[in-house]
Amino acid sequence: MDLALTADQIAILDALDSLAKSYASPTLHDTSLALVSETLDRELAENGFLDVAFDPDLGVVTAALVVERLARLPFAVEAAASALVRPLFGPERARPVCLVEAGRASRPIRFLAAGATVIVVGQDRVTSFVAQADQVRSEETLFAYPMGRLLVDPATVAGTAHDVSPDDVKTRWRIAIAAEAAGLLAAALGSVTAYVTDRQQFGRPLATFQALRHRLAEAQVRTNGLYWLAMKAAATLDPGDAALAALHAQESVRTCVYDFHQFLGAMGMTLEHPLHLWTYRLKALASDLDGRGGQALAAAEAAWG
Amino acid sequence: MHFEWTDEEVAFRQRLRAFLAATLPDDWERFSQHGPASPALTEYARDFCGTLAREGMLTPHWPKEIGGDGLDPWHQTILAEEMWVAGEPRGGQYMNVNWIGPTLIRYGSPAQREQYLPPIVEGRALWCQGFSEPGAGSDLASLRTRAVLDGDNYRVTGQKIWTSYAGLADTCFLVCRTSDDRKRGISILLVPMDTPGITVRQIPSLIGEGDIHEVFFDDMVVPVGARLGEEGEAWSIIAYSLTNERLGIPRYALARAALDRAVELLRGQGDWVGEAIRIEAAQCLALCEAARMASYAIVSARARGEAVGAESSSARFATIMAERRVAEFVVEYLPDALADAHPYLKMHHQRGIVAGIAAGAAEIQLNIIASDVLKLPREPR
Repeated sequence: MDLALTADQIAILDALDSLAKSYASPTLHDTSLALVSETLDRELAENGFLDVAFDPDLGVVTAALVVERLARLPFAVEAAASALVRPLFGPERARPVCLVEAGRASRPIRFLAAGATVIVVGQDRVTSFVAQADQVRSEETLFAYPMGRLLVDPATVAGTAHDVSPDDVKTRWRIAIAAEAAGLLAAALGSVTAYVTDRQQFGRPLATFQALRHRLAEAQVRTNGLYWLAMKAAATLDPGDAALAALHAQESVRTCVYDFHQFLGAMGMTLEHPLHLWTYRLKALASDLDGRGGQALAAAEAAWG
Repeated sequence: MHFEWTDEEVAFRQRLRAFLAATLPDDWERFSQHGPASPALTEYARDFCGTLAREGMLTPHWPKEIGGDGLDPWHQTILAEEMWVAGEPRGGQYMNVNWIGPTLIRYGSPAQREQYLPPIVEGRALWCQGFSEPGAGSDLASLRTRAVLDGDNYRVTGQKIWTSYAGLADTCFLVCRTSDDRKRGISILLVPMDTPGITVRQIPSLIGEGDIHEVFFDDMVVPVGARLGEEGEAWSIIAYSLTNERLGIPRYALARAALDRAVELLRGQGDWVGEAIRIEAAQCLALCEAARMASYAIVSARARGEAVGAESSSARFATIMAERRVAEFVVEYLPDALADAHPYLKMHHQRGIVAGIAAGAAEIQLNIIASDVLKLPREPR
């Protein structure tokens, strides 16, 4: 076992950081709850960052690293499904890629828009279709992703049936949740630590109060553990590992997000601070695949039957 | 990133398991409840460690010239996992191989190495750790046990408390004050426990029989040659020792094994039904495996020869979270375990309470993470 990044992974992440640098600190005035950039999305796609898992020499771990790193940006980028799930279906699938559970297709869906590939994961089969303009509408939500809603029941859409196991898709989906949540948590934690270091109350930085320090340290422990669970699951592609990683991700949303806003005080209620751009994405990930209960039952099944 | 064990590492683990299966007595699980510091287990551990040493599996990660095989930190981890999951048949000797020996190798004089390392390598030494005092627990730098230079000797007077293994130990790794400077006034003495002036009293504990003690030093005289390192150098030596100790015990592995055992028992008695119990068990499992991977990240860095600092506190706290959650799971779903019905789970429960207290309290780990990982400004003193 060697958990150091390979030379290829270092090179890819360095190139990604270089590309993403100009997107790290956007102006926040007059932005909506979600921050998106078509230019960033195009640059990522054109430079192949979302296709690394198609290269067997790079593989799924490298894709998970890319997803984790991109999630740290304040911009919402459709990377997780494209980089980690799309390889099961082939590179020709149009982006963005939207993952939908059959039976829950009426919920708001991340990145859903005309032209998106909608992958519908049912009990026994997986289908997909390219969303048409009259099948979707964009939706304002509190989640910091662009969201859309399907206007049709996917069961009635003439799509493509895939020779892909629903369980395999769910495993990749769980890895995607975990990798993206790891980056979101890391970025949110970083923004909060910066704020409480600068913000003075009672004559000293908020960060010097143990009531905050310990809870932030516990968030670091969770974030670190999640990162490694996500990467391990990406390496093994084991359903149990993936369920554990997604469980730890969704549980960490519950334990960390309100603390992060709490520590910003009233600033944590505003759109002037970017914290919500990470935490309100985390909230959107919390309900995927039946949420914590769903991941826990899947993990228990994999571990003990 | 590569997450696979090598064939050689798999074989090493299998060899350890085969050794344990062939060596441990049939009633080991019940026997191990005596606790690692009990007279019964201490005596057993001397035999066990001697056999382990002859098989070349007591100190395989030590340098070859000092009785090891020069194997990397992954082997140390595999060894520690298998022993801890088995109920730690090495008793208190795990400390020797985890941190006392490595500290002596790094800081000991030639005479100290010659005196103390062979008994460790041969599995016949038992040390105790003279750190905490009534007024100096987490705040170790407040310790008051004083060593006063008197010619070629130190005269030592003071008290240690909550000292594991002191009742049966041969030697004490004694931290004491040689000047008033808060941190640079602390030194380490290696003290034979039969030195006149030492009195040991056992403290009844929740951990198990014979585990913690008070140790009194009443004008004890030890030669200057018993000092480890330079006078006043203790703080950096302790930092090195604790980094080893904090990762030395893979408690996540025992927590996972206890969890697996609990599920097996619940299934056997028809109670592994419904979603609530499965969800709670999976939450425990996620914490165990998160702690394992956080620990492996540290081991991996060490195996590459990188310095490891505050990150080990993050892995340690992750392990505390796992340890506690599994213990709570057992209390809720298998209360019989705290009686004599399930010796393995009782053993886990007894030892689990130590996780957040020994080798630097959980709150100290959080302070370290806050200051040295998150780089938050420190609290005013």
